Amino acid sequence: MNTFRFLRPSVNPILVKELRSRMRGIRPYAILTIFILFMIVIGYIIYQMSLSQVRFGMTVLSPQVGQSLFNGLALCELFLVIFLAPALTSSAISAEREQLTYDLLVTTPLKPLRILWGKLIAALSYLLLVIFAAIPVFSVVLIFGGVNPRDMIKALLLLLISAIFFGAIGLFCSALCKRTAQATVLSYSIILLILGVSMLLSLTWGRFSDPPGQNVPEYILYLNPFSALSSITILTPMNFNSPFPVMFDSSMIYGGLAWQTLLATGVLIYDENGPLVLPIFRATILLYPFLTLLLCWISSHLILPRRRWWPRWSDLGFLLSLVLFGVLIFMLRSWWYVPTINRIPF
Amino acid sequence: MTTLAIHTVNLSRRYGRMLAVDKLNLSIEGGTIFGFIGPNGAGKTTTLRMLAGLLEPTGGEIHLMGERMSSNGVQAQRLVGYMPDFFGVYDDLRVWEYLDFFARCYNLPAAQRRTTVEQLLDLVDLTPKRDAFVQSLSRGMQQRLCLAHALVHDPPILLLDEPASGLDPRARVELRELLRTLRDMGKTILLSSHILSELAEVCTAIGIMDHGHLLAAGTVDDVRRQLQGGAALQVRVLNDSERAAELLRQMEGVTAVNHSPVDSRILRVDGEINEEQQAAMLAQLLAEGVQVSSFHLEADSLETLFLRLTE
Repeated sequence: MNTFRFLRPSVNPILVKELRSRMRGIRPYAILTIFILFMIVIGYIIYQMSLSQVRFGMTVLSPQVGQSLFNGLALCELFLVIFLAPALTSSAISAEREQLTYDLLVTTPLKPLRILWGKLIAALSYLLLVIFAAIPVFSVVLIFGGVNPRDMIKALLLLLISAIFFGAIGLFCSALCKRTAQATVLSYSIILLILGVSMLLSLTWGRFSDPPGQNVPEYILYLNPFSALSSITILTPMNFNSPFPVMFDSSMIYGGLAWQTLLATGVLIYDENGPLVLPIFRATILLYPFLTLLLCWISSHLILPRRRWWPRWSDLGFLLSLVLFGVLIFMLRSWWYVPTINRIPF
Repeated sequence: MTTLAIHTVNLSRRYGRMLAVDKLNLSIEGGTIFGFIGPNGAGKTTTLRMLAGLLEPTGGEIHLMGERMSSNGVQAQRLVGYMPDFFGVYDDLRVWEYLDFFARCYNLPAAQRRTTVEQLLDLVDLTPKRDAFVQSLSRGMQQRLCLAHALVHDPPILLLDEPASGLDPRARVELRELLRTLRDMGKTILLSSHILSELAEVCTAIGIMDHGHLLAAGTVDDVRRQLQGGAALQVRVLNDSERAAELLRQMEGVTAVNHSPVDSRILRVDGEINEEQQAAMLAQLLAEGVQVSSFHLEADSLETLFLRLTE
C-alpha cells in the first residue's frame, strides 16, 4: 500500500491550515467588503466625472464612459492588489518564528518548498477571491461598451501575475527577516522602490536627456505594473495620417482620467506617424514570473533551519526552470521587445 | 545487549567561541524516562535540538534506535517527537485541526489521520476541548496538545524540553501521569529541566549537566551514590544525643557523625551504610535505650549535591 503512496495526491498541509484559519472571524470579510466598496465608489466617481463633461458642452459617448470606467477600475484594482499582496504574505514565515511554531514546523518532514507554496497559494487564493469578487463591479463596463474583451482578459492576466509577484516579494522578505514588522517594512520599501524609481525616471528623463525631451528607455518601465497596465488600457490613438477622420478628442485616449498621464508617462510616445502605445505589458508578464521563480528559490533556502546554502536537489529543478524560462523569453524577444530608440520626439 | 535508543559519541556544539556542548557521551536505553538536569545555559536545549535534527553538531555522532544520523538530520524527523521549551500555537485553529495539520505534515493517509487525532486527543485528555480554539486553552492544556502533536507520527523517541515549566501543581501531576503512560507504551522519553524536584519522581534515570559536560548519569540512586559516595542518614533522638553520637561512631561503615547546626538532637551520619546495617544500627540504638523519634535517609541530599555540583 505504501509503495503507491506517491500516487495518492496529498493536499499541501500548510494550505489546508492557512485556509482554515485565514477565513475565520470577521477580518477577511471586512477586507473584502471594503475592497469592493472602494471599487464601487471609484467607479461612481469616474461615471460622474464623465457625465460632468456634458455640462461643459462636450459630447460624451457611451463607449467613452465604458473606457473611462475600465481604465480607472483596473488601475484602482491593481493598486489595491499590489498593496494587499505583501500584507498577506509578509507574515508567512516570520510569524511562524515569532509565534515559536517554526521549530514545530521544520521538525516535520515537510519540504521547505511545500511550506512556501502553501503559504503563497493560501495568500493568493484570498487575493484571487478579492479579484474575482470585483468582477461584477467590472462588468458595469459592459453596460456602456467600448472596451475590447481581449483587453479585459489582458488586464485580468496582468492583475493575477502582479498579485503572484508582489506576494512573492512579501514571502521573500518574510523568510529573510526575523520579525514580521521588519518583513512588512522591507517588502513595502521594495515595492515603493520598484514603482517610484521607474515613475520618477520616466517623468524626469526628458529634462536631463540629450537632446532634451527624449522618451525614457522602455526597459525602465518593465518592472512597473502601472506602466504595463497603462499599455493595456490606453486606447491606441487614431493614426494622424489615417485616411479616416479623427472621431474624438485626443484627451480621451486616457479615458478622461487626468491622473493616468502621470502613471503612463513613457508608455504613450509620439513618433513621425503619430501617437503610439508601447506594449510594455508583454515584457512585464514574462519578467514577473521569472522573478517570482527566483524569489521563491532564494526563499526556499532562507527557510531552512540548518545548512541554508548547501545545494539541494530542488536547486536543480529551479535552475532548470529558470534557464528554460530564460530561453522562452529569449525566443519571444521579437514579440515583447519594442525599442524606443530611433523614435523622434514629437 | 539491546540497542540503545539514544547514543551519542563525543557530541559537541560550538557557538562562536562558546562551547555549548563538549564531547557529550550519552547512552539511554529504550523504554526509560531520562531526565536531563542542569542549570540554565548548561547545554540541555542545545543537546535536545541536535538530537531533534534542528541544529547541526560541530562534532561527534548521534545514533538513534541504532541508526547513525546523517548530517542533514532528515532521519531524525521520523524517529523523534520534539517539544520545544517555548512553543507557540496557531491562532484561529481548533484543537483537532491543529493535530490534523501535523498529521498531514507527516503524510498520514486520511483514514488513519482521523483515528490518530481522536486517539491522541483521548490520550492527552483533550477530547472535551476538541472544537475549542487553540489559543483559548490553558497553559497546561497547550502543553499537552504540544505533546500530542509530537506523537502524531508515533515516534519511538520523545524529546521534551522543559515540559513542566510554567505548569501549576495539578497540571504537573497530570503531565507526570501522561509520561508514565507513554513509557508504558514503550516510548523512550528524554526530558530536560532545571528543577530537580520536577523530575525525581517520574524519571527512571537522570543525567546532570553543567557547562556542556555530563557530570553524572544513571538511576536516581546511582547518581546519588556516584556523587556522594554513600548515603547520609538522619537520626533524631529525644534525649542524650551525645551518647547516641558516640554509639553511632562505633558502628560499622560509619565515617562521620555530626550534630545538625539547627538542632543538636538531629545527627547526620555519613558513610557506606547498606540497608541491613541501617536496620542493625536502629536496633542497637533502641537496645541501648536511646529514644529515636526519626530515622531516615537524607531526602534532599540530591538537591543539595546538585547545587554544590553546579555552582
